[in-house]
Amino acid sequence: MSERVFGVFLLLLAAGGIYFGWDLRAPISYEPVGPRAFPLLVFSLLGICAIGLIATRRPPTEWAPSPVLMRIGAMFLVVLAYALLFDKLGFVISTALMSIPLARFFGGTWKQAAIGGTGLGIALFVMFDRVLDVALPTGFWLKPLLG
Amino acid sequence: MEIISHLLDGFAVAGTPTNLLICLIGAFLGTIIGMLPGLGPINGVAILLPIAYAMKLPPESALILLAAVYSGCEFGGRISAILINVPGDAGAVMTTLDGYPMAKKGLAGPALSISAVASFTGAIIATVGIVAFAPLLANWALAFGPAEYFALMVLALSCLGGLVGDSLLKAAIGMLIGLVIACVGIDANSGVYRYTFDLLHLSDGIPFIVVVIGLFAVSELMLMLQGHHGGVQAVEVTGRTMFNSAEFLRAKWTMLRSAVVGFFVGVLPGAGASIASAMTYSMERRLAGKDHCFGEGDVRGVAAPEAANNASAYGSLIPMLTLGVPGSGTTAVMIGALTLYNITPGPTLFQDQPVIVWGLIASLAICSVMLVLMNIPMIKLFVKFLQIPNWILVPGVAAVSMVGVYAVHGTTFDLIVGTLLGGFGYLLRVMNFPMAPFILGFVLGDMMEQNLRRALSISNGELGILFSSPISIGLWIAAIAMLVGPRVFKAIDAHRRQHAMA
Repeated sequence: MSERVFGVFLLLLAAGGIYFGWDLRAPISYEPVGPRAFPLLVFSLLGICAIGLIATRRPPTEWAPSPVLMRIGAMFLVVLAYALLFDKLGFVISTALMSIPLARFFGGTWKQAAIGGTGLGIALFVMFDRVLDVALPTGFWLKPLLG
Repeated sequence: MEIISHLLDGFAVAGTPTNLLICLIGAFLGTIIGMLPGLGPINGVAILLPIAYAMKLPPESALILLAAVYSGCEFGGRISAILINVPGDAGAVMTTLDGYPMAKKGLAGPALSISAVASFTGAIIATVGIVAFAPLLANWALAFGPAEYFALMVLALSCLGGLVGDSLLKAAIGMLIGLVIACVGIDANSGVYRYTFDLLHLSDGIPFIVVVIGLFAVSELMLMLQGHHGGVQAVEVTGRTMFNSAEFLRAKWTMLRSAVVGFFVGVLPGAGASIASAMTYSMERRLAGKDHCFGEGDVRGVAAPEAANNASAYGSLIPMLTLGVPGSGTTAVMIGALTLYNITPGPTLFQDQPVIVWGLIASLAICSVMLVLMNIPMIKLFVKFLQIPNWILVPGVAAVSMVGVYAVHGTTFDLIVGTLLGGFGYLLRVMNFPMAPFILGFVLGDMMEQNLRRALSISNGELGILFSSPISIGLWIAAIAMLVGPRVFKAIDAHRRQHAMA
């Protein structure tokens, strides 16, 4: 069932790709094959495969039991929030905030999560930004402190 | 003789103090990444690539780092296979069959040391193989035109499709999604914006690192949560750590044979370490006749898959270096590394960038020596890393992955796209879509389109050019054979079995 739903999604994707790809034409063309042919070919093949996925009998997908699935969803949202706040809060704080719920999901106690998260944030910042010269966002609060 | 002088130049590159240090760090990190269940060579290479790039390492050093991580992973996978019965990476699945029983019998030390020597044998034989075959293949491939290249990429993709088992449809879909993502961005030939939806950030396309981290780091962490069962207890390494001469003599031919077979399997695009180790394990089991205890802790049962998976990992560098076409997920990521440095992999690499190619080859040899020296005496240190709890490991991997993505452009947009792709990748993986065709499609998409358009420009739009030279016809036939062959064999086999039953 899940695979068929996914097949419908892919079919819509293929249709959308062909729709938006139809008008891809170069204003001046020097070559027989323009920018449109390859995407249209790929999206058409994707459409055909999507129909194959919808039409054939599929073995059922084994999803994780729903409490686990909830936790995985929550973890995805935490990482997404991390991505959004990475730049604004700076590396140290955002990493600590992300690590605490993730550590809890993987069986850490509150204390372990808090200490581990803060430690990770500081240690990785020092390692990358200071030692390895990979610039990381300091966030609005750390910048004045570092000068 | 030319090869020897090239090789000496290579050792001069790989032997500089910086590169030796990079090799050592890569080998050490690789062993740990390979050992941790869930993280394998592809995740390791994917996470370290952007960091190497951000540190402004020169291309040869970056490639040496990635290759060292790759071979370190093949060494590390065996440690968890033997001690906790969970393969650290896909190539070590077969190692659990005899490695864990050996550890249970109190022979963890000998199992670890003989498998380290087997891994070393595989690595060295494959390095010799690369030196012998890669320049020849590169020379031959110089004659390839765009039409041949297009056919070659179709062959690489269909090899993958032929080997993924019964889910050809899923492999095809994975590959097509990869090609779709590759279409996003400005078309280099005409300057037309494709599928950018007026988003400025999409005009250069979705960066390679973003896709790789999303698919192989973010989704991996989600899968780890799905399979999370609290702690696992590792068998303790007690007693002797070295194998004795009887064990060595028993396994020596096994190692050599498996290394050679593993190397050739690795060279084939699509067939990776897991296929090589499974093949050699069953081959050795058959060759052993009645005199064996395979499955209950036979030394040959750990030697065969370990020699094979290291040899095939190195072998898979050949299509990457000589043809510019990756044969596996990990080498696809390494190709991405080269393109970050504006180096186009392909047959001309041997002429244009001898420093990179020969430096890499020499570093493979150096790295294997380092790995075997590290892995036997320091094994107890490595075992300690198995005890890193997931509650610190997972946030750590998430943070380092984000650092990698951020290092490329420094935009929040990339971080979000990577995370969304990670969620999408998780859904695909739960539905058993193979990821290797996806990443190969993404890496090859641009090259495929360019070669197709170039070929058709030469012929002025005539499709016949794709099938005009003997080489391209041969490649097309090989592509069809790879796609159909394994299925026909399976069908014949099933038919025969049915007859035998009746």
